[in-house]
Amino acid sequence: MGIVIAVISGKGGVGKTTAVANVGLGIAQQGKRCIVLDFDIGQRNLDMILGLENRVVYDMIHVMDGDASLQQALIRSKVDNNLYFLAASQSKDKSVLDSEKIEKLVRNLKKEFDFVILDAPAGIESGYEHTIEFADKAIVVVNPEVSSIRDSDRAIGILDSKSQRVKEGKEVGKYLIINRIVPEMVRSGQMLRSEDILDILDIKLLGKVPEDRGVIDASNQGKPVILNKDSLAGAAYKRIASRLCGEDIKMVDIESEGGGLFKKLTGMFK
Amino acid sequence: MQSKQYSLKVYETTVGEEEKFLSFFEANHILFKDHLIILRGEVSDRIRAYLTSKSLHFLENVTLPEGRPRRELAKELALEKTKQEVKEKMLQSELSKLTNRLENNLTVLDKMIRSGQELSIEGDLLLLNRVNSGATLSITGNLIITQVVEGAIRCSGQFMLLTASPKANIIFHGLEINNSYLEDKLNRVELKNNEVVITPVLKKDINWA
Repeated sequence: MGIVIAVISGKGGVGKTTAVANVGLGIAQQGKRCIVLDFDIGQRNLDMILGLENRVVYDMIHVMDGDASLQQALIRSKVDNNLYFLAASQSKDKSVLDSEKIEKLVRNLKKEFDFVILDAPAGIESGYEHTIEFADKAIVVVNPEVSSIRDSDRAIGILDSKSQRVKEGKEVGKYLIINRIVPEMVRSGQMLRSEDILDILDIKLLGKVPEDRGVIDASNQGKPVILNKDSLAGAAYKRIASRLCGEDIKMVDIESEGGGLFKKLTGMFK
Repeated sequence: MQSKQYSLKVYETTVGEEEKFLSFFEANHILFKDHLIILRGEVSDRIRAYLTSKSLHFLENVTLPEGRPRRELAKELALEKTKQEVKEKMLQSELSKLTNRLENNLTVLDKMIRSGQELSIEGDLLLLNRVNSGATLSITGNLIITQVVEGAIRCSGQFMLLTASPKANIIFHGLEINNSYLEDKLNRVELKNNEVVITPVLKKDINWA
């Protein structure tokens, strides 16, 4: 039986979908069967970031309504055989979602996969509530800025009151990814420190991802940044995926690692 | 259960001599058509048969409740009403005593108040966690918070104990507290002679060594 993880943020544009693509691929690279689902009905992006937009024939709504079988709608990643993708509908909107259909879909996917990762839409409306409803765990993606932190705080509050697990008296494990950290800005005090963010949100740190210009190019080309061996963000996502697979990987203090690449180079000459 | 209530006329009479009784009814039975007849004394089978044949309704030797004049009834009703009112007043004062006691009741919470959450507490609160930006906390009693407040606080108790909270929006008895006055590690905010007084409890740069 697999585990269902919702990736949430509250605020949009913090790198939720990028995180889903990279974490999903990272988990698949560890040899685990993983499926990533785009729950942003009407505004799908995950297909593009995974480089699978031209492969989408059937989407999640087709499966839920019984117009297509799961096998027909699942798209296997080009880069890793363990990674599958189920697209969101681009023509419908989130009002078509209903709890019963989602539960059935998630239950079926849990049987087939080790990890079921749901990419939540931005905001805290019905689409978001449906994404978290049947999640076992949640990954909260934030940027080190106050608006992102507050929106995530709100999203966590809703998760803690509306998810099925909470209604059953269980807890939803919550893990934090701090995305787009600019080490220099943190050191100069212009950007929130990770410790402060953890103080505010009070959830477990899963990983810190530095700002990386390569991420945009990677998204545009449909090749998640984790595939780029030289990327700092890619390395960070690799560590996150390993942690999710149960490995004990030390937290890297990316803030103090002054401009990572420079240190790497000096390390070579030692 | 189904029940009906009737108002009817009752004619009570004592059966003396059978013949006299029968001749009286022979003459007047039509008058008693809508009455309930109550018979006292010895009632013979002949009388019963006669009354039945005239389809008159009768009962034998029963005692009906004494009727009372309307005025008396109204008096009694009024008395009952005042009794009820007194009872309610007493109950209310008991309740108010109870709420007074409740206001001194202390709630201890170790729960983060997240953005968008609105928590209202009757009585005192000891909060061992943060109030995050976008959250609202309203209490009727006294408030002690040991962690940073970034959300909104509405307090109408005797005092508050707060840490330095530069981002908080704190309203104490309808008055907004200027955050810059809350600069120490622990500050006491209280109402003294209609004035809000803020005193440091724990100084910021305290040297524990």
